Amino acid sequence: MKLIAGVDIGNSTTEVCIGSVGEDGSFHFLSSASRITTGTKGTLPNVHGIKAALQEAMDHIRQPLEALDLVRLNEAAPVIGDTAMETITETIITESSMIGHNPSTPAGAGEAAGYLIHLENIWKGKPDVPYIVVASNKFSYEEVAARLNQHIPELDIRGLILQADEAVLVENRLNRQIPIIDEVRHIERVPEEKLAAIEVALPGTGIRMLSNPYGIATLLGLDAEETKAVTPIAKSLIGKRSAVVIRTPNGNIRENVLPAGEINFHGTQEIRVNIDTGADTIMDSLHKAGEIRDIDGQQNTNVGNMLNRIKKSMTDVAAEGDHEARITDILAVDTMAPVEISGSLAGETCMEKAVGIAAMVKTKHLPMQKIAEKLEQELHIKAVVAGVEAVMAALGSLTTPGTRLPLAILDMGGGSTDAAVLGTDGSVRTTHQAGAGELVTMLIQTELGLGSRTTAEQIKKYPMGKVESLFHMRLENGSMQFFEESIDPRYYGHVVLLAPGEMLKVEEDIPMEKILEVRREAKRKVFVRNAVRALEKVAPDHDLRKIPNVVLVGGSAEDFEIPEMLTDALAEYRIVCGRGNIRGTEGPRNAVATGLLMSYLSNK
Amino acid sequence: MIINKPTVIIYTRDPDEDLLREICAGIEEEGVLYEIHSGKGDMDTLAYEAAKDSMLGSGIGMDGRRIAMQMARLPKGKNVFELNAPRFWQCRNLGSNSARAVKKMPFKPIYTENGEMSL
Repeated sequence: MKLIAGVDIGNSTTEVCIGSVGEDGSFHFLSSASRITTGTKGTLPNVHGIKAALQEAMDHIRQPLEALDLVRLNEAAPVIGDTAMETITETIITESSMIGHNPSTPAGAGEAAGYLIHLENIWKGKPDVPYIVVASNKFSYEEVAARLNQHIPELDIRGLILQADEAVLVENRLNRQIPIIDEVRHIERVPEEKLAAIEVALPGTGIRMLSNPYGIATLLGLDAEETKAVTPIAKSLIGKRSAVVIRTPNGNIRENVLPAGEINFHGTQEIRVNIDTGADTIMDSLHKAGEIRDIDGQQNTNVGNMLNRIKKSMTDVAAEGDHEARITDILAVDTMAPVEISGSLAGETCMEKAVGIAAMVKTKHLPMQKIAEKLEQELHIKAVVAGVEAVMAALGSLTTPGTRLPLAILDMGGGSTDAAVLGTDGSVRTTHQAGAGELVTMLIQTELGLGSRTTAEQIKKYPMGKVESLFHMRLENGSMQFFEESIDPRYYGHVVLLAPGEMLKVEEDIPMEKILEVRREAKRKVFVRNAVRALEKVAPDHDLRKIPNVVLVGGSAEDFEIPEMLTDALAEYRIVCGRGNIRGTEGPRNAVATGLLMSYLSNK
Repeated sequence: MIINKPTVIIYTRDPDEDLLREICAGIEEEGVLYEIHSGKGDMDTLAYEAAKDSMLGSGIGMDGRRIAMQMARLPKGKNVFELNAPRFWQCRNLGSNSARAVKKMPFKPIYTENGEMSL
């Protein structure tokens, strides 16, 4: 009897599987284990992680490491993925012409128009002129209220703009009901003596007058030409709880298209496409270019730098003398990013258009042979490189109960989405596509405006809940969870992520519904689109309907919602698609390691 | 004591009036009502009793310049926030937080400097 190990080195984890082969060819799976990959996939530091994983698997069956007769390594797919983001519009306010934000507690309701006057100059005010008073935070709420009350009998005060968060406090001490906006951070930039319109929305609604061009025209007395000019202002104020629009002769708000650079496709055809044309045009151009030899980008743009960066990192790990790292696929996705408007008065943000791009580098092959030699040296066990990763994955996936040939696998990892079809005659077609888990993380981070990538990664991985009291939270599917011990007050009112064994707080104040929508949309944009793209490439005659089974494997197949999304999307093509269950026990993991053992048998 | 108004309750013993005023301003800005009564016992007891007696389940105990915010059904002494001889902005935010506890909104920072306002 012989003990054989299959070893799969992936981008993030190293998986091993151990089986025994009898003299009569009988075969049994005995044990498996998984460890984090040490170093970049396909480099010598991997040996450390392989040894640890082998040790763990052998411990399960109470055998020493030396009892192994043979180690079979996968020929890891020589691909590395990376992502970049290019913002293609920016919004600029000139001459401080508007304020539009969502202070948590403005006061009063309704709209008013008047000339701006700072509180310290209010004694200069003339009767019969309507005023909107501007007060910086050097005045306490009591001072503001007292000064206004003193002047209210002789002056026509219509509204108030505050720097401090004290709108309700001032309102409660004022003798007249006026709309009050607070939390205007850069109040010193508000110009004096200009005509301005102010509006505070009724509770539960957004503003109505200032988000309507004719509303602004009514309040500020604009003619048709001027009304046309304020339309972008009205548009950017839609949905806000409070707003100020200031009439300045040259003041405006405009959307700039930024020079985002170009991507060059070197394929059957040479095609050059500008990134600011959007994801659909980029993907169409990619399609038109035919068989892609290489892709590069304009120097000193985000995308150009990213494409150079992954080429370099691939050249670094590739075998000596093999400097031929080429980018063979990209995936572009349209997205929106909340960016602070330049020239803003209260930190207003505007959703800017952006394009997220994932790219994939391919080289001839990785120096797997060196890893095998090193392993043999250190363990004194024969080690061989056997079998291409995608083929082994397909073989291993065939152990999922309920599958038959022809069988397709979708291996969804962090950097790339790989597909393979194993035909009834044993033929295999494979493809590697750019865009997977890491692109999803980047989309989540951008669209929610998150400060850290780790938070985005966690949002992608874990379901959420909102802590509604110190003893219960509402989960994202609407159900409630109760606690015997009180929850730490730091979590109170926040959205938390339910990681195994702990709760992670989302620092940003974003409603749970919004996070849910962005998370699902990002996964759908990347994985559903890529799954169809990849399967079309490998399907017989490029017809999806000719594939009866798709088995999902790899890290992203363990996600709590991606497999369901794909099952749903592929049902359209009458494909049976679901998360793999290798050997009926392993779930979507260990497919390659299992395949390596199975291929040993068929080789004999 | 019979309470029938939806208020945050503040029980005090010999309170620092300036700090108390800031706490009240914080609650008021959030649009929540409050009432102040003098009580007996230490800070933990005052806060615990205040939260228990508040119809909204949110209370503050104040003993001189020591302040605690408490919520109903939490054990005595396990205060949500505690301040000792704080600065004005901390009191303002503690007041806001006692109101936010009622409104189920995230708390404002009251210990770290980055939440500081120029008060």
